[in-house]
Amino acid sequence: MAATISQAPPQAQVRSHIEVDNGVPVRQRTWYLLLYVILIFYSLFSLGPFVFALISSFKTYADVLTPSLIPHPVTLSNYQQIFSGADLFPRYIVNSLIYASGTAVLNVLLASMAGYAFGRMEFFGKNVLFALTLAVLMIPSQLILIPKFLVATSLGLTDSLPALIVPAMAQPTMVFLMTQFLKGLPRELEESAMIDGASRFRIFWQIIMPLARPAITAVAILSFQGAWNDFIWPLIVQSSQQNYTLTVGLAYFGNQNYIAYNLLLAGAAVNLLPLVIIFFIFQRYFIKGISTSGLAGR
Amino acid sequence: MQGALHVSGTARKSKPKRSMGRKLRETLTAYGFLAPYLLILATFTLIATGYAFYLSFFYLDFGFGDPIFYGFKNYEHIWYDLTHSGDFFISLKNILFYTVGVVILQTVLALALALLLNQKVRGRGIFRTAFYLPALTSSVAISLIFIWLYNSQGVINYLLSLVGIHGPPWLYDPTTALPSIMLLNIWTTAPTFMLLYLAALQDIPDHLYEAARVDGANAWQITRKITLPLLRPTTFLVTALGTIGSFQMFDQSYLMGGASGGPLKSTLTPVLEIYNTAFADHAMGRACAEAVVLFVVILFFTILQRRFIDTNIQY
Repeated sequence: MAATISQAPPQAQVRSHIEVDNGVPVRQRTWYLLLYVILIFYSLFSLGPFVFALISSFKTYADVLTPSLIPHPVTLSNYQQIFSGADLFPRYIVNSLIYASGTAVLNVLLASMAGYAFGRMEFFGKNVLFALTLAVLMIPSQLILIPKFLVATSLGLTDSLPALIVPAMAQPTMVFLMTQFLKGLPRELEESAMIDGASRFRIFWQIIMPLARPAITAVAILSFQGAWNDFIWPLIVQSSQQNYTLTVGLAYFGNQNYIAYNLLLAGAAVNLLPLVIIFFIFQRYFIKGISTSGLAGR
Repeated sequence: MQGALHVSGTARKSKPKRSMGRKLRETLTAYGFLAPYLLILATFTLIATGYAFYLSFFYLDFGFGDPIFYGFKNYEHIWYDLTHSGDFFISLKNILFYTVGVVILQTVLALALALLLNQKVRGRGIFRTAFYLPALTSSVAISLIFIWLYNSQGVINYLLSLVGIHGPPWLYDPTTALPSIMLLNIWTTAPTFMLLYLAALQDIPDHLYEAARVDGANAWQITRKITLPLLRPTTFLVTALGTIGSFQMFDQSYLMGGASGGPLKSTLTPVLEIYNTAFADHAMGRACAEAVVLFVVILFFTILQRRFIDTNIQY
């Protein structure tokens, strides 16, 4: 059996097999129909809550629990009330934007630098430090929350925007991502530049960084997303209301005794929208980043 | 001419020294590049981890003085709690139930979605985007949306009433509150793991499938005998990451259980309990001891999985 297979050119074998399949197209067509039904059903399951929440964020308080797909009446008052500033809501949004973009910019810079050293330089202690970076990825992050809070407090990092950004500004996941990407660029890039007498820093800044655009985009997006969605750290570290992020502000919204679902949904929509937009523009990098950082655990 | 000769002469003589010097300079430059990252890593992860172990032997009432050495008293307190059905015990019981359910179901769902999308599907990108959306968004926004959906007069109960089922008050009933959060989290986490499975599926060499087809294997046999065994490393990764993540659940129980793990502590999780010990009871030392215990539990389960899922595969 094995001998006959190795003698026959495999492609011819496969083609003939497909022809046999074409002999029973009905079964295959049923399978594909079923496949699309399942996929569409799950898409509805996946998108439904968001679409319905978005629609309902235009409903009045009296109307918000009715299951109708069209708000009656359609109102913008929820958004107007949120943005009127009575709950410091605009402030929360600004804080979240600063936290997320600050974290993104600093991770791009610092993780690229670390990734450049790990990916393209030979130095004493490299293997140990890189192994450490991988090991740290497996430490359950919530477990060191209390000591992290105490360390931050002793450094004077509480109740301020730096208290959010500083601990998150150089994340091991992002370093791993950059290292994996930069490792793959051709060696000759440095060699020819070094012959011309360029310093390591100039090579990094002028040659490597422009070539690292895809990885930089992934790091920027993933760290923006992490900070924008972060809840527990801002909850612990910020004490005055003016320093709350959008997530913490929304949580207090939801914890009040009577729940104003209409405002809640409008707030959730404001929280969701920036990420959805970024996702649709940079989808490719998102997916690449997640697949690569997932490999860290292997 | 003389100058050039002179230079080449010294170069030859000091070659080992200079390459040593270059190595040293390269190392120093590398550490220059690494310095900010290492500083942050050391401060907020390594020192913090060590500090957690250290503090677990101390009494620290935050804001009121220095840590007082406490020996094993924090651990004795936890032991008493565990043997007398205290809050930490309840939280561990909840999270075990939660983790087992969530990890199994989300792994199966992620695998199923990936296998479906790996077929010759038209519009694969669109489906992938649609499936991924729940994983993209913040736990806070999703929790708020589901507080609304799970309301006893909410949409979910409305849909159930259409098929004649009288839905429970999901988040207000101790028997359904935790399963409600489980369903929500399976729905939000599975898409990320689906992406990992999809990446792994694309790594499986085509010639393996071809060989199997030549041998007359059908689609089901190929999936069972080739695809699933080759996906084992990913399955391990997905279950390990899923377990570590599930054990640390906090946001949803804080938001949906009214910040106290309610109703009747049915959604109390260890991280929420640690948070309460630290910031409501002001017992930082005991909170660290609880974190150490939880760390050991997570480690135990990760090692257990490693033993059950054989990742040693050969093509």
